[in-house]
Order: sequence, then C-alpha cells, then structure tokens
Amino acid sequence: MKPVKIAMMGMTHGHTRKYYQTLLDNQKLDWVASCAQDADAKKTYELYKTGVPCYLDPEEMYKKHPDIEAVVIASANDRHFEQMKWCAEKGIHILSMKIPTFDMKEYDEMIAMCDKAGIVCQIELEMHYNSVVRRLEKLVKEGAIGKIKSVQATNITLSPVWAFPWQGDPKSSFGSVVPLKAGDPRFRGGALCDHPHIFDLIRHLTGSSFDYIYAEVAPNLRDGLKVEDMLMAVGKMKDGTAFLFDPSWSRLEEKLKVPGPGWERFPKRMEVNVTITGDKGMITCDCFGPNVYHNGAPNDRYTVQYTYFDEWIGLIDEFVDCIRNHKTPLINLKWHKETIQSMLGCYESIKSGKIAKVGK
Amino acid sequence: MNLKKMNKGLDFLRGKYGAAKGQITVKDGHCFVGSTPLLPGRMERKIVELKKMTENGTLEGVSTLRFAAFAPKGVDMEAMLAKELDLAAYLGASDIVRVMAVASGNAINVLAKLANDVNVSVEIGAGLPKGAEPYDRHEIIAKRGVACDQTVDTHTKHESIRCWGAEGMAEYTDVDTELFGLSYDEIWNVRAAFALLQKRADAKVWKAAWAKATKAAKLAFAADKSKAAKTIAVKKGLDTNQSIKVAEVR
Repeated sequence: MKPVKIAMMGMTHGHTRKYYQTLLDNQKLDWVASCAQDADAKKTYELYKTGVPCYLDPEEMYKKHPDIEAVVIASANDRHFEQMKWCAEKGIHILSMKIPTFDMKEYDEMIAMCDKAGIVCQIELEMHYNSVVRRLEKLVKEGAIGKIKSVQATNITLSPVWAFPWQGDPKSSFGSVVPLKAGDPRFRGGALCDHPHIFDLIRHLTGSSFDYIYAEVAPNLRDGLKVEDMLMAVGKMKDGTAFLFDPSWSRLEEKLKVPGPGWERFPKRMEVNVTITGDKGMITCDCFGPNVYHNGAPNDRYTVQYTYFDEWIGLIDEFVDCIRNHKTPLINLKWHKETIQSMLGCYESIKSGKIAKVGK
Repeated sequence: MNLKKMNKGLDFLRGKYGAAKGQITVKDGHCFVGSTPLLPGRMERKIVELKKMTENGTLEGVSTLRFAAFAPKGVDMEAMLAKELDLAAYLGASDIVRVMAVASGNAINVLAKLANDVNVSVEIGAGLPKGAEPYDRHEIIAKRGVACDQTVDTHTKHESIRCWGAEGMAEYTDVDTELFGLSYDEIWNVRAAFALLQKRADAKVWKAAWAKATKAAKLAFAADKSKAAKTIAVKKGLDTNQSIKVAEVR
C-alpha cells in the first residue's frame, strides 16, 4: 500500500506531541511537513527534533508539498473551522482534534463541506484504541454484567492551560465568549471542553442516546482562570441508563510551558475510571493502570509514570485504513455531533439550573 | 503460551513496521528466535519505564534492588530466578558478581551483588495455586528516589478491570492494543522477538546476558546447598545491560 503523505497543522493542541512517534514509525505514513500556528509553537515543535520541516504559512507548506493527502489538525478549537475548510477545498483528508467546534451551525457546515469534498474526517477520540477500553467494550458486549443500568465515569486530569494557554481562553476553546451563568464571572471553555471521551464512551457501551443531562460547576481550583475547572454531570440515556460524569481538571499541576517530567502535582496526571452497574453484575475499570511509581526527580514526590500510550497507534491505523479503503471512521463528524450536543447540554444546564434535553 | 498466535502477532508487526524474517520457537520452556534467547522481561513496559528512570536522572545513585516473583506450583524456579537476575543486571546496569541464597521447598531467597556494589534481593516462590496469575515486583532504591512497579501502599497487583459477574469476580489487564488477545507473557515475547528482528535488540547481547543470568541462577541454588556465597568473574567486553530503543511515552 502506498504510504499516505501526511502533515500536521497548528501544533498548539495538547495532543500534538503524542502523534510524533506514530507518524514517524508507521510505514503506512509518510510524514512530510508540519505547519505551526506561530513562532512559539514552531519553537516548541523543534524541541522534539522530528526531522520533519515546519512552516508558518499553510500555503507555503502546500506549495512545497502539493502531494499532501491528509492533515492532523492539532490546533485551538476556534481554528478548526477555517483549517477544515482549507483542507476540504484541497481534497485533503482530516484528522480533527476531539472538539471540531461547539457552534452547531459551523458543525453542520463542516459535515457538508467534508461530504462535498468526499474526504475522510476522523475525530480524535483515542480512548477507543486503549486496550483496557477495548476489553471493557468486549465484556459489556458479551453480556458479562447483563443490561447496563448505571455508568459512572471520570475523565479527570491536570489542567493544560499553562502549556496550552488557548485552553483557558473562552474564545479559543469554546469558540465564543459565553458566561457560565448569571452572576458567575467565568465563561464556557474549560475542563468540559477538554474531556469529551466519557460522553462518547457511554454511547458506545449502551448503544443508546442521551436523553437529558444536569450539570453543576464548583468553585475553581485555579485562581485567575476565566473558564471552569471543576464540574460534574448526572443524567439519563434514552434506554434508562443513569450516569454520573466527572470531567474536571481536578488534579493540580506545575505551571510548565512545555509538558514534561514533574508536570503533575497530584501523583497521577490523568484518570479515566469507569464503574458500570448492570443487572447481572458490575465492572470497575482504570483505563490508565497499572503503571510504575516513583518519588525521584525533578520534584521528589510520589508520581505515577504511565506505561500506556499506544492509543495513537490504533487511531492513526484506522485513519489510514479509512483513506486507502474508502471507509467511514468510527468517530466521524455525524456520529460525534451528539457527543458535542451532550456537552453543550451540560453548559445549558449550568446556565439554567435545570436539566437540559440533549440535542434540543 | 500459544506459539501459533504469537507468531501471527509477530508477522503482523513485521508486516506493519518492517523487520527481518523470523519465528519464535520454544526450547525447555524458553522462547527463542533462531539460536537467540528472548529476554521478554526487558521489553515489559513497566521495566522499560524503570530502566529509563535509572538513565534519565529521575533516580540518582542506585543503591539497592528489591525484586520478587511468584508463580504457580510446578514452574521452574531456576528459570524464574534467571529472569529476575537478568533484570537486576539490566536495571542496575552492572553484572552480577556474587550470589548467596537460601531455599526452602518451593521458595528461594537470594541476595546478590552487582559489580557496581549495588545489592539485589530476590524472593522467588512457586507456590501459587495452579492456574493463578503470576505476581512480580521490582523496586529500585536510590539516593534520590524510589521507584516500583507495584502500587506503593498495597504491594498487591493492580488490575485494570475487575468484573463481578454471574460466575464470580474476574480481573483483566490488557497492555498492548496491537497484540490484543495475547497473554501478558505472550505479548512480551512477541515484542522481544520483534525487537531482535528489527535489530533494536542485539542478538549477541541477549545471548551473553541470558548466559550470565542462567549461570547466576544455577550458582544461587548451589550457594544454598553449600551455605556459601558464589562468586562470578566479570567478563570484560560486551556491555549486556544497555537499554533498548523503545517508544517514548512522555
């Protein structure tokens, strides 16, 4: 199979660096270029010494590499629309970060332009390629715990805002400046926007759709942050499954400009834990464990060092397979729309203090 | 171990990433590619992370290694010990020069010394019920920092999933999406074979390392019988404890 000529754009998203190894190792890919949002992003990119040229102007990149077939759009959420448009106009396949946009008008335009261009647009929800999630889905599918009655899930992390400031900026993260609720000085665009995975996962596990959702924000842990960092949501799926989600930035961090050892202050940077109660049993699941543990440099405090990060391999494999074999990705724009609507439902509920019907 | 499934997994990785031809075979319970013994322990992600910590400055001034490995009844304790002694040399970055051991029934406790003066203790037991999952623990104690591959406050095995179903409780830990469906041991043997075929691991190094480890394990049992520590002369030349190139995860 001819390797897919691939590029990266933006280079300001927190997941950007996680692609490097896979793009270099996978023989089905030929990583030809990168295009950074700005000089700072280019400087950070160059720290990783990938050997792949980096441009600041997408047109210049395209002029030098007119054979680019696919792009990983690794940028702030409010840049996705224009970058997707740029790709669609050139017939370039897209791997989008987890939030294409929260603006549903824009979202529908994204669907239309990708359909019109006949390109693959895959959304990066890498948890599907995590081996623990794969086991979890298999057990549920095989009926190990019967019919699901309840799902509790955390997608809790440190906050990436110090390394990726756009994630603390309401406009860049949410797409527009919208207050959380009356009398609250904060805006939409924080932890919730960083954590769609559990809103997606429950749809796959239950095979059902969201009915309603109720969410509450708590006081922020980080002074001066304009967006929410602590919130929780409860709700119901259309098949009756009750859920409780925690998508917070509840693990504190050092204010590093470039992620690296010592970033975490709480020992574990990221936890996706799922508890499922079924009518015949229950499951508890830690999607990022076991690991190794130390209290060495740089901060001499108890730290969980991950041993898992192969999600990006499966994610990219699927993307290539979809491009070469004309398949539709599992997480495509149309499928993902309801996940985005459920997250918007959280914001609507926070604003109104009432349940929000999802998709209404 | 299911060799057919393992070789299928190996073929998949070779096809995807490119590597020389080769197949895994088993001799006396140990996996080989050609005449090269595999060192799957060195490929386990937890060992890879521990090795990195000893090299990247996370840990400074390693003093002592405390290892343990327990397996079901009937498992060859000498082979278990050889694996742990190889990991000791690998993580301690120095060859074993002395071993003393005391055995009792299906257990043996070993105190070893590396050439760089690091102490190593290894508890080996083959008393778990038939069919039980093996357990191991690797702790590195340094002047700066302690690292361990088991949760520090429990020292029990952490499983990713616990499922309480109609048949009772079952636990699952899956560590490799590309080789999903293979057992833990099968996965690391396939990864080891793949590393050899990709030339990231050096066959000469692994042959020499395994020869040293099996010799040290044999001498440990001899030390128990004679109630005297056994000394091993350090061979100059090939560094058998160098790290293997692996994917960076941070």
